[in-house]
Parts: sequence; C-alpha cells; structure tokens
Amino acid sequence: MTLLMLILIPLLGAAVIAFSPERQAKWLCLAWSLIALGAAVYAAFTFNWMERTGAFQFSASWTWIESLGIELSLGADSVSMLLILLTALLAPICALASFTAVQERQKLYYSTMLVLFAAMTGVFAARDLIFFYLCFEFTLAPMYVLISQWGSSNRKAAATKFFLYTFTGSIIALAGLVYIAWKWTQIGDGWSFAISDLEIAASQMSMFEQGWVLLALMVGFAVKVPLFPVHTWLPLAHTEAPTAGSVILAGVLLKLGTYAIYRFVLPFTPLAIQEYAPLIAVLAIIGIIYTGLICWVQRDVKKLVAYSSVSHLGFCVLGLMALNTIGAAGSVMYMVNHGLSTGALFLCIGMMYERYHTRSLDEVGGLASRMPVWAFFMVFFTLASVGLPGLNGFVGEFMCLLGTFQSGAVDFPGGTTGPLGPWYAIAAASGMIIAAIYLLYMVGRIVFGPLREPSDHHAHPVLPTDLNLREIGILAPLAVLCLGLGVYPTPVLRSLEAPINRVGVIAGFHDIEAPGSDETAPAHTLVLVPEEAWP
Amino acid sequence: MSLWTHIPGAFSTLAATGVDAGVVDIEMGRPLFLLIPALPALAALLCGLYWALGVKSKFPAWTTVAALAGSFAVTLVAYFEIAAPGLTHVVHGFRWINIAFGAAGGERMLFVADFSLYIDSLTVLWMLFVTGLATLIALYASEYMSDDVGPGYCRFFFAFSLFVVAMACLVMGDNLLMLFLGWEGVGLCSYLLIGYFFKKPSAVNAAKKAFVMNRIGDLGLMIGIMLAFLHFGSLRYEEIFAQVAILQQDGGDLAWTIKAIPYLLLVGAIGKSAQLPLFTWLPDAMEGPTPVSALIHAATMVTAGVYLVARMYPIFLLTPESLTLVAWIGGLTALVAATIGMAQYDIKRIMAYSTVSQLGFMFLGLGVLTSVGAAFHVFTHAFFKAALFLCCGAVMHGFAGQLDLRKLSGVQFMKGWGIVGVAMFVGCINLAGLPFTAGFFSKDMILAEAFTTPGFTALGVIALLTAGITAYYTFRVYFRVFLGPQHFEPGDELHGHDEHDHDDSHGDDGEAKTHDDGHAHDFHPHPPGWAINTVLVVLAVGSILAALAYVFPRETGGWVKGLISTSSAAGAAHHDHEASFFGLGDPHKVMYYVSGVIALVGIAIAWWLHLAGRTTAATSRADAIKQKIGPVGRWAERKWYFDEIYDFLFRYPLLIFSHIFYLFDKLVIDGLVDLFGRSPRSVGAGVRPTQSGGLQNYAMGMAGGLAFIIVVAWLVVWRMSS
Repeated sequence: MTLLMLILIPLLGAAVIAFSPERQAKWLCLAWSLIALGAAVYAAFTFNWMERTGAFQFSASWTWIESLGIELSLGADSVSMLLILLTALLAPICALASFTAVQERQKLYYSTMLVLFAAMTGVFAARDLIFFYLCFEFTLAPMYVLISQWGSSNRKAAATKFFLYTFTGSIIALAGLVYIAWKWTQIGDGWSFAISDLEIAASQMSMFEQGWVLLALMVGFAVKVPLFPVHTWLPLAHTEAPTAGSVILAGVLLKLGTYAIYRFVLPFTPLAIQEYAPLIAVLAIIGIIYTGLICWVQRDVKKLVAYSSVSHLGFCVLGLMALNTIGAAGSVMYMVNHGLSTGALFLCIGMMYERYHTRSLDEVGGLASRMPVWAFFMVFFTLASVGLPGLNGFVGEFMCLLGTFQSGAVDFPGGTTGPLGPWYAIAAASGMIIAAIYLLYMVGRIVFGPLREPSDHHAHPVLPTDLNLREIGILAPLAVLCLGLGVYPTPVLRSLEAPINRVGVIAGFHDIEAPGSDETAPAHTLVLVPEEAWP
Repeated sequence: MSLWTHIPGAFSTLAATGVDAGVVDIEMGRPLFLLIPALPALAALLCGLYWALGVKSKFPAWTTVAALAGSFAVTLVAYFEIAAPGLTHVVHGFRWINIAFGAAGGERMLFVADFSLYIDSLTVLWMLFVTGLATLIALYASEYMSDDVGPGYCRFFFAFSLFVVAMACLVMGDNLLMLFLGWEGVGLCSYLLIGYFFKKPSAVNAAKKAFVMNRIGDLGLMIGIMLAFLHFGSLRYEEIFAQVAILQQDGGDLAWTIKAIPYLLLVGAIGKSAQLPLFTWLPDAMEGPTPVSALIHAATMVTAGVYLVARMYPIFLLTPESLTLVAWIGGLTALVAATIGMAQYDIKRIMAYSTVSQLGFMFLGLGVLTSVGAAFHVFTHAFFKAALFLCCGAVMHGFAGQLDLRKLSGVQFMKGWGIVGVAMFVGCINLAGLPFTAGFFSKDMILAEAFTTPGFTALGVIALLTAGITAYYTFRVYFRVFLGPQHFEPGDELHGHDEHDHDDSHGDDGEAKTHDDGHAHDFHPHPPGWAINTVLVVLAVGSILAALAYVFPRETGGWVKGLISTSSAAGAAHHDHEASFFGLGDPHKVMYYVSGVIALVGIAIAWWLHLAGRTTAATSRADAIKQKIGPVGRWAERKWYFDEIYDFLFRYPLLIFSHIFYLFDKLVIDGLVDLFGRSPRSVGAGVRPTQSGGLQNYAMGMAGGLAFIIVVAWLVVWRMSS
C-alpha cells in the first residue's frame, strides 16, 4: 500500500490542479509534492534498510489482466527505495524552481510534472514487468509535453527527437522482455510477468537466446542512459528543456536506464552479460572520454553540463558491468549522486538564465562578483560533480572504478570474479582529469574572471541580483545531502549489500550464500535505523 | 582491547601467518586527538557563517588563529604522549566508506576506509609544523589581508582553515583513502586560494592549472591505491605494513603488480610536490595571496609528496629501483628549477622556483635512503621558506604589490623595515646553506648520503652544483632588494583602490611596467605592523633554532632522527661500506666543508655581481653577462619553455581532438540518427495525412507499432522454438 500511495499522491495532486484556478497551480503543486515527499520519508523510516536477504518490502499486488498473468505488483528493496526517495525529493524542488520561470499555462505544466513524478516512482516500485514497462514508457509523454511546450527556441525538434529516439529503443527492449515472459510459459503455468518469475525463466535460456535478449534490452536501456553512441538526443533535449525538465531528466529519467540495466539485464542474462560486459564497458569508457572532451569545447553552459551527464553516466554503467558488489553499489551511489549534483547544476544554470536570458559562456562570466551566493552553490556542486572526496560524487566514482579494477583479479586478496580488469579502470579513471578540465573551465569562465554581462541586460522584474530565499531554499537541501552522502555514505552502502548480493546470486557473479551471517556490525549507525535493526 | 577485533580480516593476515615483524603495537588513542582536524573544521564552519551573516570585522582571522592554536596545542599533547615515547596510536573517528563484498575466493571481505587517525612520530612531526606554521601565518594574514575585511576576508580564512583540516586528514589518516581525501582536499583549498583574486584572469588560470596538473598526479595515486587494495586486501597502513613485512621476510620475486605500486604513488607525489615533469603549476600558484604561498605552496602542502613517500617507505624499499627514480627526479628537478630561479626578476617567483628546487633535494634525500635527511629538510625548509615568503609578502604589501627586484633597493635600511630585513637575511642564509644554519645541516645530510650511496655520485655532483646556484640566486634577491642604494617604485595595487579591479598581472616574468615618476613620488611605502613583525621574528628565531634539532638530543642523533626512527619511514638501510668523497674521506664529514665553501662561493658571486657591481636599482654587472651568454639567459627566464612544450604536446592536441569529436558527434553520429529518422518519412509520404502532428495521433501510432512489434517478436520466438 505504501508504494501505491507514493504513486497515487502525485496523480491525485495532478487531478486537483487540473480542477483548480490557474494562479493556485504552483502552490498546489508544491503542497502535493511536499506531501509526496513526506510520505516517502515516512516510508523510508518504516523501511528496514538492513534487511539482510535483499527481499522486497512493502510488497503488494492486485490482479490486472488475469489471462495474461499481468498484475499491478509493487515492492521495493533499498536500491529502489533510494531512487524513490531521490524522485520524491526532486519533486518539490522542481516545483519551486518553476515559480518564476514558468508563467504560461501553469495548470497544465504543474499537473504534467506531477504525472511524470508518479510515473517515475512507478518504475522504481514495479515488480511486474508490464507495469514497469507502462511506467517506463509513460514517462515519455509528460516529458515530451514539458520540453515541447515550455522549452527554448528549438524545443519542438528536441522534444520529437527525444520522444522518437527513446521510444524506438524501448520498443526493442520490450521485445526482449516479452521473449522472457514467453519463456516462462514454456516452463511455468501460463503467462506471468512477475519479475521474480521471469528471473527463473531467464535462467532457462540458452546462451544464444540470452545474447539476443541482452542485445534487445541493451538497445532500449542504453538509449535511455544514454550510452555512447546513442546519446545524441540528450544534449539537445537538455538544452531545450525548461530548468525543471532538465533537472528531472538528469536527476531521474536517465537513471531509469541504469536502474533497468541493474534490475533486468544483470539477472535476466547472466551468461550473456559475462560475455558481453567488456564490450559494453568499452562503450562506457569511450563515452567517458569522448563526451568529456566534447564538454571542453562547449560554449553553451547547459549543453556542457548535458554532455557531462553522458560522460558521468559512463562511470555508472561501467560499475554495473564490473559484476561485483563494489561496482554495483558504486553505480547505485552514482545514480543518486549524479541526480543530486547534476540536478543542482541545472538548477543553478536555470537561475542564471532567468536573470540573463543567455547560457553562452561568451556572453556572461565572472558572476561571482555579481552573485556571490549563487557562485558559492555553483562552485560547490561543480566540485561534487568533479568527484572531490568528502562530497558525494567521489564515493560513487571511486567505487565504480575500484569495482572495475578488482573485477576479474581472482588471484588477489582484494580481487573478485568478473569480466573486467584494471586496464578498464585505468582508462576510465582518465575521465577524472578530463572532468577537472572541463568543469573548471566552466567555473573559471562563468563564475570567476572579469565580470561580463550581456550588453542589453536588464534587471529581472521580480528576482533580485543574487539568489532570493526561495532559490537558496531549493539549493541548500541538495548541498547538505551532497555533503552528508560524501562524509557518511556507509549506512547507505551497507544497506545496498543485501539487494546487490541477491542480484549477484541470480546473475551468478557471487558465491556467497547467506549475507545474514554478517557479524561486521558497524560501531556507529545512522539515526535513520535503530541500532537493533543492524545485524 | 583492540578497536579492530570486531572487524574480521583486519588482523586475519597477521594471525594466520603469526608474523609480526616490523609491526608496531597499535594502541587505541584518545579521541582528544580528533580535535586536531575538528578545531580547524569548526573555524571553517564559523568563517562560512560569518560570510553568510556579512561580518565586516577581523573576527574570521581571530577565530582561525584561535582554532589553529588549539590544534597546535593538541598536537603538542600528541607529541608528548605518543611521538616522544615512540608509540603508534590509532584513533577511530567514524566510518567513512564501508561495504562488504564477496572476494574471488568466496569469503566475505569488508572494504574499510574510515575516518580514523594513525598517529606516530612521523605524523606528529608533520602536524607540529603544519599547525604551528598555520597559526603563525594566520596571524600574519590577519594583517596582510586587512584591506579585504568583509566577504573576501571570510572566504580567505574559510579556505585557510579548511586547508588545515585537509592537511590533517592527509597526514593523520589511517588509510590510503583518507590520505586521498586530504590529498584532494588540500588541492581544492589551493585552488580556492590561488584563485582568491578571482577577477584576475591570470589568477583563475593559475588556479585551474594547479588543480588539473595535480589531478594528473592524483590519477596515478588513485590507481596506486586501488592496486594496493587489490594486493593487500586493505587500505589501512597497519595491515599494509604488516604484509609488506611478511613479503620482506620471505624475499623472493615480487609480482609486477606490487612493484608498480611505488611508481604509481610516486606519480601522485610528483604532482603534489611539483617535481619534474609536473612542476609548472607551482610558480604560477604565486598568483595567490602571499600568506597562502608561504603556508601552502612552500611549507606544508607541497611537502605532501615527501610525506607520501616517507609514509609508504616500506613499499618503496621493496622495490629499490623505484627509489632510484625518486632520487633522479629530485636531483634533476632541483637543478632545473634552480637554473630558472636564477633568471627571474619577480622575487616571489624566485622563491617559488627555489621551493621546487628544495623539494627536489628532499626527493633526492628519500631516493638515497636518508628519510631522516629528507624529513629534516622538510622541517627546516618549512621555517625558513615561510619566513622568506612572508618577508616578500611584507614587501609586496608595503610597496603596493611591487615584486620586481629591479624596482626595489635598499629596503633593509628604510624606516620601519628593519625586522623584515633581518628576517629575510636569516631566511636567506638558511636557504643558501651558510655553515651552522639549519638549512646547512639538513641539506648536508642529503648531499653526504648521495655521495655515500653507490651509483649516485653523479646526482651528488648535480646537487652540489645546485646548492651553489641556490646560494647565488638567494643572495641575488637579498643584495638587490634589501641592500644597496634606497630606491623604490610602487606596484600597481595602490591602496584605496579595490585590489580586484586590476586585471593585469603584476610583474609577470619580470616584464617592466611603465610608471610615471610623479606617481612614485606621491607614494609612501607603509612598513608592516605588529602582527606581521611578530610572526617574522618568531619564524626567524625558529629558523635559527631548528639547527639545534640536528644536534640535540645527542642520544638519538638529533631530534628529527629520533622521531623518524620510530615511524614507518625508518626502514632506510645504512650503508656499511666505506664511502669516500673523491678520496678526501667520509662524505659525512667532508661535506660540511665542501658545501660550506660552495655556499660561500655562491654568495660571493652574488655579492660581486649584484651588490659590488650594482650601478642603479635596475642595473648591475650581471646584465653584461646576460648579454654575453646570448639566448640562454632568455631561455631560462622563459622557464626553458616548459609551458609552451606542454601546450604543444598535450593541451593543443587534446583541444583539437575535442573539436573534432564535437564535429563528429554533431555531423556523423547525430547525422546518422537524423538520416535514420528521416528514412521512414519518404516511405511514409503516401500516408502523410496521418501525420497530423497531434500527440494523440502519435500515441495511436505508438500503440499500433507496439502491437506490431510484439506480434513480430512473438512470431520469431514461435518459429525458433518449433
């Protein structure tokens, strides 16, 4: 029920907004998204983060189409829960960030946004393949509307490309998923789309079948991530989308791809992934370096951050392909961290854009002397994005790299099984330098240096020169989370062990049986979980 | 009870083998020592708060000074409780990055990188001068930065305090990942402080350059850390040292992977300590305010590389060839940087090159197995180089940013500048290595060891030559700026103006700036106040007294030697064979005379060229020599074109690649996508009426397409299975 509530609250909010006066839309959206956030936080408190078997919690299901075995089935492990929390957190932030930026058709805008959040929550909560796919696809329509209606000058083309590109990919992924469901009919009793059933069905597939299923799934999910070379929709969509759209896109939508890889590709194609992981890893590494360098020559700051997302998500995919605990946990951390820091960077850029109506690094610069508070946040989130230890970005990045490094080094005390190896990690780690180059280039131009403002610049009619309290209120919680997750990620990491271990056992990259026998109780625990809940 | 008993695997490797050779008893230290990083962290937090509240007073400075002094006091406690008796304590803070994973063998392992402190004598030695100097320099900066009281002042002291936190993590961390935390943390503070005058493009570029070049080193360090984890299954020092001790006992061939670790760590050390080939960021870092140059870019942060090698000495000793490389990098860096330093006119940059050069000496010391000499040189250098920088800063502050040695003369005898002049003199004799100064003793230890170690004679000669050059360029500065006829031209940062508004860099590479004479006559240099003078006196006295650490206490062969011998850096083997300095006898004894003479010769040349041979403030006998040697002088002044070569070899190719990639991305990859997207359009020309553009129509099409594909997929599956 809890999870259903988390999906229904934003939907209800959207309905309420649709039948309310225009000028109340934004306040209603904020209120409903705060309620949703409150519900998610409540869920997080009742959630057992140290469940040692990786079992799904808050499980519930309702029969939907009985003849095909389709159910509305929900459940969450700590990976899902983290991403649901991230989604719920970004909802009020996106609402607040649109207060002055969106002036037209507010009712449609805010209700579309809430529908989008409901769909994204549904993706992370789904335990039925059809319901997952429905939500997965349904995120496209609201996002299409957001980009095409409230975007910048080239918004129509960007929205269409975004829609058709990702849609084409997902259709192919669906073919793969349906094949597995069909496989279940061969061994089971009629149709079922329950993910837990399909995990069993997948294990019955031959290497040949797994290879094709892997290809189908990866084509769909790689577009969503996006992985090189199917990434070109992203810079365009990001650049044209309204600020909140970019935040949702970077914060959550891209993670649908990596989450789907983690949730489906790894357990559904255990043999094939061992075989083809190096290939996918190579694409991820090319993405890290190639798009990283592209960032360096961007003149449009939003496009720069958009390309940097492609580069960053390369680490995320790489960590998954390491097929070991540290890599996968690092990847999940990376999903959360990237959502926070890159989302915040888009927010900062949006605030700058509202004041100057340009995103060109040639036209604005040196804003630290005009907007010191903004500059503080911009530099802070850039550093989080660069992967500075002590901030959140580092934890995920380091663990993705370490997981890749130890993957396959079976002769070493610190090694694990896996298809990758040190050379992959070393190649990817060069992205550390490139990230420093392009992000400091960005900060060096837009925040530091002599002040440059567009010649026809007028003060914003409503907004002050520097950030107002609303804007600080948007960025401050994100900054606190970035710092908190960077300094004390251990509780989160430890909560990821069991679910990853569960996937690992299915995917065959782990030979540890029972994580319940874990006697390594941490001395200090987060208040989130009572001491007794720890093993 | 040991803190680690509840972590399986922590001592499992030790227990399994029963070997405890080379492993000191680790005791659980008092949580009190967590205050060493915590107090500056609190100060940083408060400075941030002051900034937010818009405090316009010297509050940030006093907060920082108080916190750092507290930190220093706690470090003193650590010295008496832990370092002096030669103990090693581990203080557990909190769990930073912990996760259990399944190792290849199937057993469950725990990745542990905690915020814990490893306190032994090496740690305490470093923290003593880090916190001590930081306190003094913060006091100095309280006056030096007083023109910026307000947001800039808060920002400065925020980064300053944060730097000490990061440095404490680097030095005191009990595992390699916490060292990395501090390592990048000091890099960040360095970035923020070099770019303190953020409106100046040169400062912003210098900050960026420092961060990026450091990141190149950090990449090596990071890979080294991962390789160490792979090998030892832990990142904690005690476990690594225990396993290294086992390896050392067993002897035999080592895997190449373990041999690679020291080289990778060395890459990190090279970046942070500005050695060849990654040294060019440090001179540019002088764009930062001078207290920053003194603390971060001379006394403390740049010695982190030396610390890393000293801390990981057992691993380096496993692969002695890596130490040979350390020695050669150090020796060559010392020489190259010294030759550049000879030809500069900006006194701060001369000091910067001299820092690079002296760091080279320290690396040389590590390479020739005198970790004591290296650590002692770090210690003495911290004092006298901080003093030198702060004197340069006082001059810069008093003469409106003037740093060109051709435009300043006779400062020693101007009214109110006596203390600065004397402190400068003390710093100079230490740097030049005049007999019986601290710098003389510490440099001698390294020089003598180079001649003692077989195979390093060539490096010894290079180092001796460098010592001579050092004496020359040091006194070139002193004779020109502080002695001679009194004369000055103010710099371009006249008070009353906002310092930030000067976008041109001052005195860069000795390019003469034109000032009209009348301008100069209106200007009155203002001599330093009590804060600056107090700090200079303390540092000058400290520089002199540091020499005592060479002699006392006698039973351990000097204070520093006593400290190092109980730490992980102690492993240096002593050379038993009879070495001789070119047939003159034991290098350790002969070196006192040889290096003393060389220092005096260097000073004499400087005197002849720059004091006796000086005609005006701007001209001297050296100019004629510079004419004679032709372009070589200009090449040295242009830093042997290192920057240009790097741009040509790395930066431009990378930039060109970036542009090509971007074009490729737009035209080829996205072009293919568009082509693919367009092809159905021609096919679908006949069904154009359906393309109404309405979303609902597309949605219908989607559903239809979905159904179609499902059917096709199903058919394929059905065919395959039957």
